[in-house]
Formats: sequence, structure tokens, C-alpha cells
Amino acid sequence: MKDLWEEARQQYRNTDTPPELEFAVASALRAGEKKRRQHRGLRRSLSAGLAACACFVLLVNVNPTFAQAVADVPVLGDLARVFTVTQYTVEDRDHLIDVRLPALDLAGDTDLEQRVNTEISTRIDQVLQEAEDRARDTREAYVATGGDPDDFMPIIISVDYEIKCQNDRYLSFVITKTETLASAYTEYYTYNIDLQAGREITLRDLLGPDYKEIANSVISAEIDRRSQDPDNLYFLQGEGGFESIADDQSFYLDADGTPVVFFEKYEIAPGYMGTQEFRIPLPETK
Amino acid sequence: MDNNIRQQLNEYIIAHQEDFYRLAFSYVKNRDAALDVVQESIVRALSKSDSLRQPEYLKTWFYRILLNESMNHYRRSKRLVPLEESVADGPAPASDPAERLDLYAAIDRLDPKEQAIIKLRFFEDMKLEEIAHITGTNLNTVKSRLYKSLRKLRDLTGEEVTT
Repeated sequence: MKDLWEEARQQYRNTDTPPELEFAVASALRAGEKKRRQHRGLRRSLSAGLAACACFVLLVNVNPTFAQAVADVPVLGDLARVFTVTQYTVEDRDHLIDVRLPALDLAGDTDLEQRVNTEISTRIDQVLQEAEDRARDTREAYVATGGDPDDFMPIIISVDYEIKCQNDRYLSFVITKTETLASAYTEYYTYNIDLQAGREITLRDLLGPDYKEIANSVISAEIDRRSQDPDNLYFLQGEGGFESIADDQSFYLDADGTPVVFFEKYEIAPGYMGTQEFRIPLPETK
Repeated sequence: MDNNIRQQLNEYIIAHQEDFYRLAFSYVKNRDAALDVVQESIVRALSKSDSLRQPEYLKTWFYRILLNESMNHYRRSKRLVPLEESVADGPAPASDPAERLDLYAAIDRLDPKEQAIIKLRFFEDMKLEEIAHITGTNLNTVKSRLYKSLRKLRDLTGEEVTT
């Protein structure tokens, strides 16, 4: 009987292990380790977020004085403020992510506040997800084409915001997302809020019904002026050059409350010229 | 401490990768599928490695994942087997004395759980306690399944296989 088992055991042991096994095991070990960290990171940030929310809700519910105190906080005479709700850094083999995410605190208008804040967080979540997917794909392509995984430079993704205008009437801020691979590429998301009217402002609100014509003529003239400098080569009309501002044109308000229309890199000019900004003066009557 | 266990787990996996592959292969009977099973098991093990607290269970803990992964794959591929083969797989060919199988081929005729016990016991030289831990059953169940499997093997091969 022993021989019978010995024979079967030999047959079992004789299974050839393919040369790919070692590589397959090594890459699975790395993938598993990464997955483990993701789980942990996620759990940690979720519970921190929940804890903070729970705390806040509890205090507001329990203590009416506290609720009133929150509403009454005189933020240096401002009607609103932008504050950082989330700040975190993720670092692994594929990417370095640095996020400073703003949220809005509007004294009176919780509807608007909520809408804007939800919009911000969903947009940033989506943007980050896309960026992470891209980072992973880039790394896989790099390794698949024979690159040494240890030489792979992590992709740097950073999300930040800048307040452009904050006064009794307006609040304007820009969220930027920068992805650095070999060269950096930044995307911009703008938020402009009329605090008195309690809503987001459009160029039409600021410049009147003819806002497109007004902006277009200012921008065209400015492009002509800047083109005097031989270093500035805008794309020509009909070849991807500036034709007209879009219905949902990105802009922000500068410190004086004047709208500044801007175009991202490559949008109307070659990449080396960077983002192009155009200040559109408000009509005299306003 | 946590890092220590993970370090041990990594070393254990690397040192025994060929055993894992052979066990996976014995179920899925296909090179690429076996590689997939091994990889999938490792990823799963590492991503859940925070739940592994006692290093002495490392081996049985990992084998449990590997075995589940192998059996899942086996069941999935069984469903896709062409008709002729599955018919041939059917009722006991052992009743025909002219068509005896050798022991190794006979093991493949057992159901996946019985196969697991036989393979772990006789090919991986594991103790019955370890097998109970891996299969998530108690020692008595392992014993009775083992004897039942051996009886089946005897019928399939026509030889006295009890050890």
C-alpha cells in the first residue's frame, strides 16, 4: 500500500512549476500589500470624518447656546468664510497625493452652503479617483514596457485652493488640481458666490445680457496687444484659437470684484504660455 | 509586532510558492489558471493580513485561503466542461472491473472537499488537526471524511489503499 501512495505522491510532486511563478508571486505580494494599505487608509479617514461630524452634530443638538454661538461667530466682519475641511497626504509607489479641500461656511444661507460644499466634494472625489486610475495605468504601462518598477517616479497629485476675492458682497475662490508626471498639468475649478443674493454669480450678472460680446471684444483686443511681443504666439482663429467665451466660461473675481476670465494651458495658446487670464472691466453703470 | 507577522507571511509565501502552485494545479489542471489562483490567494491574504494575529496559524490560515480559491476556480470551470467529458465523469466507473484507475487519477474523481483532505494529508504531510483548521471543520469530521474518501478510492482503484 505504501508504494501505491508513494507513486501517487511522485506524480503530484512532478507537476512542473512554470518559470513565471516567481514573478507572479512577487507581484501578487506587492499588489496585496498595497490593497491592505488602501483598506486601512480608507477606514482611518472615514472614521475620523465620522467622528468629527458626530461631535459637531452632538454639540449643536445638545446645546442651544453653542448653536447660536456658531451662527454668530463674527469672522472678522465677513459674512462668509472658506475653511479647510480636509487635509491629507497619501503616499505609495504610484503616487503622492496632497489634498487641501475647502468648504464653505455661509452665515445665513445653509441651502447654498450645502449645495456648493456637496459640489466641491463630489467633484474632487471624482477628480482624485481619475487621477489615481491614471497613475496606476501609467505605472503598469511603464513596467510592461520593460521599465524597472523601482525607478518609477510616483505621480504627484495635489489639490489646493486659493481665495481670489472675499468682501461683504462677493466670495470667489479657485480650486486647483495639479498632476505632475514629467510635466505638470493643472486643472482649475472656480466658485463665485454673491453673498447678498445668496447664489452663484455668472458673467451675465456682472456684465449684463451682452456679456459675451463685451468679454469677447476685450479678450480679442488684449490678445492682439499681447501678440506684439514676438514670444507670445496665440493659436490663430479657426486653428484652435480664441473665438468666443463659452456659456460656462471659467472666471474668478479679483480683489476689486472685477471678473477675470481665464483659459487653461493649451486652450487658446501653446502650452509654454501657460494659463491665459483676461480682466474684463465692469460696465460704468454698475 | 504587526510588521513582524507580515514579514513572516511574506517569507513563508515565497518559500512555499511551489507547494501552493502544485495544490492549485491539482484542482484546476491548467497552468495559467493555477498561476491565477496562487496570485489571487496571495493578494487576498496580504490585503487581509491585518486580521492574522498569531504567527502559529500562518500556515493553516494561508492554506485555507488557497484552498477556497482553488475550489472556487474548480467549481467555476466544472460548469463549463463540455458535455462528453461531464458524462464520462458521471456514475462510478469503478463498478467495471476492467477499467481500474491508478490512485492518482482516482483522487480526481473525489469531490473537491474529499480531494482536499487526501492531498493535504498524503501529499503535503499535514496533521489531521491542521487539516481541520484549514477546512474549517472539526477533527471528527475530518476523520470520517478521510475514511469515506479512502473507501471510495479503494472502490475506484480496486486496491486496498488504506495506509
